[in-house]
Amino acid sequence: MGRQVCVASAGFSEHASKRSDVNMPELVNEAIVDCLKRVPSLDIKDIDAFVNGNMPAFEGSNIPELWMTDWMGARNKPLMRVTTGGTTGGSVAIAGYYSVAAGLPGVDNVLAIAFEQQSQGDTSVGLASVAYGEISVMNSLGIPYDQLTLLLSGGAAIGIASYQATNYMRKSKITEEDLARVVVQNRHNAAKTWWAHLKMPDLTIEEVLDTPYISYPLRYGMVCPASDGACAMLFTTEEKAKDICDIPVFVNGVGSIANETALIGYGGSGSGQLDLSEQLGAQKTSEIAFNQAGIHFPRKEIDYAEVYSPFPNQELMWVEKLGLFEENTATKMYETGVTALNGELPINCSGGVNSTNAIGASALERPAVAALQIMGKASNQVPKTVHTSLGHGWGGYVNLVTMMVMADEPVRKY
Amino acid sequence: MSKRTLRKSMGYIKKEYPRTRTIPASWYLSSYKFKFNITHMKPFLDKLKQKKLVGLQCSSCNRIYFPPRQICGKCLVKPDRWIDLRETGRVASFTVTYLKDPETGEVLERPIVCAQLDGADTSYPAQLDPDIEFKDTYIGMPIKVHWAENIKGGLMDIEYYDSIEDSAKDLQPKEE
Repeated sequence: MGRQVCVASAGFSEHASKRSDVNMPELVNEAIVDCLKRVPSLDIKDIDAFVNGNMPAFEGSNIPELWMTDWMGARNKPLMRVTTGGTTGGSVAIAGYYSVAAGLPGVDNVLAIAFEQQSQGDTSVGLASVAYGEISVMNSLGIPYDQLTLLLSGGAAIGIASYQATNYMRKSKITEEDLARVVVQNRHNAAKTWWAHLKMPDLTIEEVLDTPYISYPLRYGMVCPASDGACAMLFTTEEKAKDICDIPVFVNGVGSIANETALIGYGGSGSGQLDLSEQLGAQKTSEIAFNQAGIHFPRKEIDYAEVYSPFPNQELMWVEKLGLFEENTATKMYETGVTALNGELPINCSGGVNSTNAIGASALERPAVAALQIMGKASNQVPKTVHTSLGHGWGGYVNLVTMMVMADEPVRKY
Repeated sequence: MSKRTLRKSMGYIKKEYPRTRTIPASWYLSSYKFKFNITHMKPFLDKLKQKKLVGLQCSSCNRIYFPPRQICGKCLVKPDRWIDLRETGRVASFTVTYLKDPETGEVLERPIVCAQLDGADTSYPAQLDPDIEFKDTYIGMPIKVHWAENIKGGLMDIEYYDSIEDSAKDLQPKEE
């Protein structure tokens, strides 16, 4: 059995569509400084190891972790890099957790850093390179490239999200208005978060429904932005966390599971997932993480949740699949205000990925915000006391789900 | 409507950051060679030339893959049994794309579907008849293969899917 791991602090850089004032190392440094500001007794010299990740293809600079070593303060220290597409941040957090849990001599404080500066390069080229293997196979089976771009709806993640949306909308019988309501809640929350990107304090449902379609049923006003930003999270042991911060957050369960690919199967074959909103991977991940954390009734025991939802239909889908609400009831929860800031189970009070999406950093920001909510230091703090929270990530080749369950007291494992 | 006016109307609070020097550069990814074993595809493509549809069945979980797959995602077993499939199927999922016609500049609304053939356990992205209104598309819609004029032995031999009535004769099981 490994050591009990705690989160001592988390920090963010400011997010915007174009951070024209900084380059990538400076952006990362902003997040690290903000992270260490919350733990005054700790210096960058006290950090023992670093875990780092982003998607290099999305911004066009390879091995950035090595040329920003000085800006991270990682000189002459163990450094590891993780890259798993959209879930990079989630995998970075889990790698940070494992580094501490392993109990290596001299590795107690581990800094997990994820970042993305999308304005630097062309993200769509990077996305295409991820799917290039499958695309070339389908091309060899006789589908020309111009037809393929049509079939994959431009090839970006929105193609898969819109298939999920139609499946989900048919199953739970919701309208576009319900999707717009989720967006409005997120953007209002983002306006109260200092680091968020799309701050829209006066957004209404009508305004969202007034924008043109990008890909049915998702409209321009509903989709996530492309942001520049970085996030840092400090993992440490139980003993050290009690010294350096007031309320240490205990990481009680982690899970990361890849399901079958969603839209095209391996090697251009058919996909075994007929209902894209079924998400067996997410169900399995939550089962594993909740089991580790000793949570048997997530609906009652979880106080706060951050889910990875670039598109509003996904937010409704994930909260159901992770076991926070009954099937097909998530829409009602958003309508009645259960998920609002002062509700019973607040969801995405930082604005979520829907308002801020620096791809590599997004999935690390979810557990980071969830941890800060327990500490009571979040930017848009929930009025009630948060005891347990979860941070979730989705991405990879649209099939990997990561999850981290945290609480203000440890689970004693047998 | 330009992007800027859209954002203004949605009350977006934008923060301006000072500019530093920008140094342009390009990153050229050289040609890409993906290795793909085509042996399991050959019977499938040969049958397509004869306007026949076949799927590959996993002998362990009995899932039928169309188009065929080299390895079963569930069982780590190589599927090896060829099963004849019918030309009818259902819409498993759909979306509508809004693409600009490069010649006329008008926005085309085309429904794109995930088609599941009757008998197969998988779906794959395909096109619908261009005459079908995108508003008439729904999940579970019965569809039928429309063959291309020139058969070349590729997936594009299925040019698109026609929509058929719920009570169409094609959907009835064949009497032997």
